[in-house]
Amino acid sequence: MNILIVEDEKNLGLEMADFLGKEGYTIEHAWKKASAEEKIFVNSYDFILLDLGLPGGDGFELLHQLKKMPGREDAVIILTARGEVDDRIKGLEAGADDYLAKPFSLTELLARMHAIIRRKHKLERNEVNVHDFILDIKNHQVSFEGKRVNLTNKEFEIFNYLVLNKNRVISRVNLTEHVWGDILEVNSDSNFVDVHVKNLRKKLTAYATINWFETVRSIGYRINF
Amino acid sequence: MKLQFKLALYNTLTKVAIITMLGILILVSINRISVNHIQRRLLQKKARLVTNLSSIEINDLLTQKIYTDYNLLREEYIILKEIKKSEKPIKQKFSRELRSIEGNQDEFQILMSDFTYGGKNYRLELGETMSTLAQLERTISMFTFGILVAAVILTLITDLAFTQFLLAPFYQIIDQKLNKVNDPINFNYQPVKTTTEDFRILDRSISVLMNKIATLFLTEKEFIANVSHELLTPISVLNTRLENLLNDEQLTQEGENKLFASLKTLNRLKAIINSLLLISKVENNQYSKPDLISVKHTVEEVYEELEHRLLMMKLKINIDLPEDHSFRGNKSLFHTLLMNLINNAIKYNIPSGNVNIYSEETAGAYMLVIADTGIGMDAELVQDAFIRFEKLQSEKEDSHGLGLAIVRSIAAFHDLQIDIRSKKGQGTQVYISFPA
Repeated sequence: MNILIVEDEKNLGLEMADFLGKEGYTIEHAWKKASAEEKIFVNSYDFILLDLGLPGGDGFELLHQLKKMPGREDAVIILTARGEVDDRIKGLEAGADDYLAKPFSLTELLARMHAIIRRKHKLERNEVNVHDFILDIKNHQVSFEGKRVNLTNKEFEIFNYLVLNKNRVISRVNLTEHVWGDILEVNSDSNFVDVHVKNLRKKLTAYATINWFETVRSIGYRINF
Repeated sequence: MKLQFKLALYNTLTKVAIITMLGILILVSINRISVNHIQRRLLQKKARLVTNLSSIEINDLLTQKIYTDYNLLREEYIILKEIKKSEKPIKQKFSRELRSIEGNQDEFQILMSDFTYGGKNYRLELGETMSTLAQLERTISMFTFGILVAAVILTLITDLAFTQFLLAPFYQIIDQKLNKVNDPINFNYQPVKTTTEDFRILDRSISVLMNKIATLFLTEKEFIANVSHELLTPISVLNTRLENLLNDEQLTQEGENKLFASLKTLNRLKAIINSLLLISKVENNQYSKPDLISVKHTVEEVYEELEHRLLMMKLKINIDLPEDHSFRGNKSLFHTLLMNLINNAIKYNIPSGNVNIYSEETAGAYMLVIADTGIGMDAELVQDAFIRFEKLQSEKEDSHGLGLAIVRSIAAFHDLQIDIRSKKGQGTQVYISFPA
């Protein structure tokens, strides 16, 4: 899959490319509005990660131009420091597929991209095998040998996010932000998520040993497979 | 007192004073003039009497003692007496005395004059009653008083009507251009219709001032947007860089821990910037109030979100809201307000403590109370509670001292009154009063 990162902040663009490159994506960069226009005109991308404030113009203009081009199915995720509700609405109404306020976590970006891929390609198979468990992304269900594990929405979200970012430590803060959004940006308390993880582990342990579900001391969690 | 009433009052009082003074002046002058007239009449009568005097008439007058016949109402009288030589003659003398004429006592203006006729000295006394004059004076004073009252009432009414008409543009300026302006950006620059130059100047000055404020306001908005962008972008860069470093398989456990600690610090920085931006935006009225908010519903929403934290601390929450209250505002901001307060009630509680959320109706005003059985605060801490970056409980590492500052801004935005009562070791009660 090829991705166009339209980001004037070079350091950020390169770090994103580094991370997504390791995930197997092909990356192109555009640092200015003009070069982004050129690239969009010539190529089509699976993803365009679009910053709003660009040298030479606004990211919204690029989005409008893209949406006017016939037959394009590039998924657009807007990345911006402007986290206003109005801007989000404006961006989504202009045809963006998702919206991430800076600073965002790369794992969060990856989760959003996966969600878009599943939605866009209407993937038939939405099931991930996690050892003996099966994670059904589409139906928000986890099962073990055909038996359904009764999880709450939040517990499923946590499991899903950890599975998506397998073999990677996910911090409590990161997990909290993914599952609850930024409602706790004020007075954020990362221990918040511990109770849910504890319950989730308890429910999974009832079916099998889960030594692949690690608690990384004072940091967060990791699922290995 | 309104300017309109002050002006009317001033006009009325000055008119009352002027008319009273004029009335007194008229009464005094009328008295003087009348006395003068009477005296002149008496002199004329005396002259006529003296010139037409004959010995028969003198005898007539002398025998009759008091002559009043010629006037039915006894308004005048004549007395003629013969005076002895030894008595000192009076040439002519006016006096004002009480006299009893045929049983009627009255005040008279009296002319006494001596004259010689046929070798004998006589004293003539001519009197004219003052009662008519007193009557006249009474009538005039009544009339003056009547005019005074009528003038005062009329003046008051006309003054009020006129000043109301005159000051209408002034009140319009106050009402529409000053009182109802929340957002300088949407200020109405349409001049108020008036022919009064002073109000035009006032209107123009306010417009100029508003224009300046609007410019400053826009500059500040822009500044906030820039700050957010300028600060959040480098944080983004650091965030992504640290996350990438975490993916390095050669990273030691210690390195990994340090990176996560750095990410946590970065997150704190992000939370502080976002909180400051939120406060600044609320205080600049950059939010609208489109929602009809139910207090009860919002409390329930916040409770659902915080339920597991209560479980974690083994806290018991009692929500007792028999009456609901609705008001117009910004739902997500009010949610943030309650989230902060209830979160504090949980965070600063003791294990197995209580959080009580209940409503009170005092003097028609609805009040929401969030009370905890927590660690409480000293009086001075309560005083400083709303100050930015004032860390009340520094042992809580995830507190950045902005939670209550946010609460205060959102409360002010919605015209809510917040009171904190607390005692060290005895819990804290937060009272939120909603305007009726």
